[in-house]
Amino acid sequence: MALAIRRTSDILCAARWLIRRDCRVLSTLPEKAEISQEVVVRRPAGRRPIANEAVLESRHIYPEFLPDPNPDWRNSLREKLERADMLKRRSQIDIPEFYVGSILAVTISDPHAQTKTTRFVGICIERKGCGLRAEFTLRNVVDHQGVEVRYDLYDPTIQKIQVLRLEKRLDEKLLYLRDALPEYSTFPFDMDPEILPEGTPVPINPVQVKLKPRPWLEKWERQELKGVSNIEEHLKGKDRIRRELRKTPWEKYDLMKQYRKTIPIEDQSEIWAEVHNQLQQLQLSRKKMARKRTFTAPKPQLG
Amino acid sequence: MNQAEVSKLVSKLRIKVPAEPRKLRSPKGPEGRIDKLRKTVTGLIKYERIELNHNRGDEARQYAERLISEAIRYGDCHKPTMDVANYWLLEKELIHKLFKVLVPRFENCNTAYTRMLNAPRPLPSRVDDKVVLELRGNPYPSLVNRQSNNRLLIQNVLLDAAKYDYRQSKYAEMAEKIGQREEAQALEKKSKEPTKESSNESKTPEI
Repeated sequence: MALAIRRTSDILCAARWLIRRDCRVLSTLPEKAEISQEVVVRRPAGRRPIANEAVLESRHIYPEFLPDPNPDWRNSLREKLERADMLKRRSQIDIPEFYVGSILAVTISDPHAQTKTTRFVGICIERKGCGLRAEFTLRNVVDHQGVEVRYDLYDPTIQKIQVLRLEKRLDEKLLYLRDALPEYSTFPFDMDPEILPEGTPVPINPVQVKLKPRPWLEKWERQELKGVSNIEEHLKGKDRIRRELRKTPWEKYDLMKQYRKTIPIEDQSEIWAEVHNQLQQLQLSRKKMARKRTFTAPKPQLG
Repeated sequence: MNQAEVSKLVSKLRIKVPAEPRKLRSPKGPEGRIDKLRKTVTGLIKYERIELNHNRGDEARQYAERLISEAIRYGDCHKPTMDVANYWLLEKELIHKLFKVLVPRFENCNTAYTRMLNAPRPLPSRVDDKVVLELRGNPYPSLVNRQSNNRLLIQNVLLDAAKYDYRQSKYAEMAEKIGQREEAQALEKKSKEPTKESSNESKTPEI
């Protein structure tokens, strides 16, 4: 019956919706099968689509791809050229994902070294700068002497960057390790890389360091550090009073101050749309290469 | 060259943001500045249209825009955003207004959420430049008096009448011309009637 009416509906195209309604009365099909309700989320016209959260998450892994937030120092052409150069450099060497608190081994070419290369192992205590000028600082204690080396991330003399332990710490900068006991920044040069299983989030190391007695390089007590355990032991009464006086509890509500330090989502999604795909491809090809290397049989040494 | 902070995501403001924050003098220092701005932002959310000195109005506008954009982006179930709203709105019933009235109003807005207009200054005087800061979509009558499309405005009525008169005169002219031409053709026909029919046929398509 319904079919017959359908056939007539082909002829009477104009009255199709009426006949369909009849079909629904006659047929035993539930109403949902007939109605295809399309819920279209309409974005107001003129607003650019915002990249999804997964793409925006790469801001943690590649923070140097975001430009300087100070509008006086912005230049869209220079930023674009720098991003292209950074991608070119990344296609030459593997710059892995790392954070402040990770332990890295960096090999650079050095004309004065016997083997022409120098390898330094240390904990990353600071990451700063953007674009091609991005830099990071490694710290280690060698022969009871604290050593820090600042590397440019895109320095062409860098031959290899290896992450020995991928982890974060409780603070965004670990400059207080300079005033901490040396055991907290001592790492052996023959450390083996620790491999995290795929898909796990980057672990946060909750270790709290002990500071040496004063004098200190900075007034650590005023910086609200989470990774220091014994800061109260070294303070006098006047230090506590001054810390109270210098507190700025309103700053976390200063919306414009936050805004001036960040790149808004709309600008970020433009940048990630430009570089995210290439970065993903580079990462995938690196993974493939790493897998291939594990399967190659060692060559028999002749002679 | 500084690295941008990545811990927080913010929506882009639709107003021009100067590179440096403006100083508002206060004996309490930077805290006093924020307190002043809190009062102004609360007033703006409460009354929807306020008159201010230019520098304070411009500064408060940025904070109000940020507050509304945060509320739109994160909604009222986000604890940090609620804290921020609680800090910035000194009268607590305005928090409900922000999330239940202003967020639905501005959700699909493509422009800035606020509007700042220069206010008149009594002359001669040495007062600062005044501005009127208002939320868009407020219930008050519009401040900009754009009535160019109002057909009942006296200027528009007069213009319409003038246009009508002009058009009528043009029509009259055209009618007169057509009449003259027809008369001339009729005269020609009469004079050419004795000639051949073929010539007459060839002329007809031209007319």
